[in-house]
Amino acid sequence: MGQVCLISGPPGCGKTTWALQRLQQHQGPCAYLRLEGEKAVGLEQGDDSGIDLAWLKDQVPRLEGPATANATDLKQDNDGLTLIEVQQFYPPSKEGVEGFGDNVRSKLEALQLHPDQLLHFGRDPELPAKDTLEFSKLEAWHTSLSGCVWDPNSLSSFWFELVNGAYGDVYRAKGLMNLPDGRAFFCNWMVSQESSQFLPLDATAPPQGRPSRTSELVVQGKALNPEGIQATISDCLLADDVLAMQQQQLQQQQPTSQG
Amino acid sequence: MNHAVISCLHANLAAVEAVLDDIDSQGIQTITCLGDLVGYGPQPNEVVELVRQREIPTCQGCWDEDIIDGLNACECSYPSQLAERRGHRAHHWTADLLTEENKTFLAELPMTLRRDKLLFVHGSPNSQHEYLLPDMNAFAALERVETAGAETLFCGHTHQPYVRELRQGSIRVKVQQRDQGAPTEQELELPMRRIVNAGSVGEPRHGSTKATYVIHHDNTGEVTIREVDYDVAKTCRAIVDAGLPEVFAWRLSHGFEYAERAEDASHVCER
Repeated sequence: MGQVCLISGPPGCGKTTWALQRLQQHQGPCAYLRLEGEKAVGLEQGDDSGIDLAWLKDQVPRLEGPATANATDLKQDNDGLTLIEVQQFYPPSKEGVEGFGDNVRSKLEALQLHPDQLLHFGRDPELPAKDTLEFSKLEAWHTSLSGCVWDPNSLSSFWFELVNGAYGDVYRAKGLMNLPDGRAFFCNWMVSQESSQFLPLDATAPPQGRPSRTSELVVQGKALNPEGIQATISDCLLADDVLAMQQQQLQQQQPTSQG
Repeated sequence: MNHAVISCLHANLAAVEAVLDDIDSQGIQTITCLGDLVGYGPQPNEVVELVRQREIPTCQGCWDEDIIDGLNACECSYPSQLAERRGHRAHHWTADLLTEENKTFLAELPMTLRRDKLLFVHGSPNSQHEYLLPDMNAFAALERVETAGAETLFCGHTHQPYVRELRQGSIRVKVQQRDQGAPTEQELELPMRRIVNAGSVGEPRHGSTKATYVIHHDNTGEVTIREVDYDVAKTCRAIVDAGLPEVFAWRLSHGFEYAERAEDASHVCER
């Protein structure tokens, strides 16, 4: 039987980073699933909007998404690994899946997934503890950036302002952002970290038109100013004519194949 | 006699008043202003009128020029689309608010001011838009001062105050004339030259929110960089009350410029 591992923890504690390392080390077939954990008073769950799955799939292309997480093949394959990530602020109250809320339990039941390993950040020594933070109040905001392309220097300025408090006390921000040259970046910030991560996706698209890959931004913090964030984003995104002009220049710079 | 040099006021009345108070408290009666009276900040008319009322000799900054000539600087003026859009918003807001009398005053400002071997400019002797950064190539920096016929060049524009001494400068020229044998060589040893950047009164960018300016001690040639506290929160409130982007207030309150400097700082816009 394949292994089913469930990890839980608060936002930004390092769940996805740990999951990526685990998946990269695993040689066999693997699947990933993200579930929302138990709600807590004053603490909003961040809508992941598929960022983690898109990032993990880019780094581990053989990774399967939720649609196949209940695939019989994977569960019966001795080399199979199904990783379930649950955003949950507090440690489970009981042992096993009983310690999770109805939402998690019903999803696991529907997918017929029975975790044989359950780990919570900040509680279990198998997981790194250094990034675990405790929150008393947390707002969450997200926006879809599907098809959007950023002016690179504007993205840099926006991200600087975002994580340094120009739009509220941001504790956590992550996003997948497209650039005009066909690259995309996983932008990742946690208040406990010294600096942001800007990790390039392995998959690039030719600099032609608007990309169709997942592009989202998720922000968690206090006294957030969504209107301010949205207004600045609007000033950073490239219009059709500007994008076309920039991509035309990039295409002209690309080396032509020698006949 | 000591004299004070101020620059880059950027419509920040609280900062300008604090700096003028600091200058007055030292009994300094000669003040020179290196321009950019307006731009981004919330009190353009008040600042221009204060400079006019005090009869402070002033040269024209890039914002003073653009607010009169319109937005015809090339895209190189801004490092990003975001900075450009914010700059344009601030430009239109300022242009709408400035009185015709104050616009006329800005339009008539000279590009440079000279007092003996002291030259006063906003950016460089070449352009209000050129940045003379402290780490600029020494030969290029020396060229800017020498060709302008100055011993000390006072500038602003970078919003970072500094004093740079250019010592042991020399220029070697080799001339080969047609039909005249070996080339002739000439070497010219240059005396020490200086570039003094006055920083910024209204939009500091030196790691602190304090307004900066410099005092030149005529007798000794010494230059003192002054940092002055002012009511930053008051200007931030005025920014929000004026309807300018709130992020301007956030940037000012953290000592960040409203817009970052252009990537190619030595680029001179040719319009």
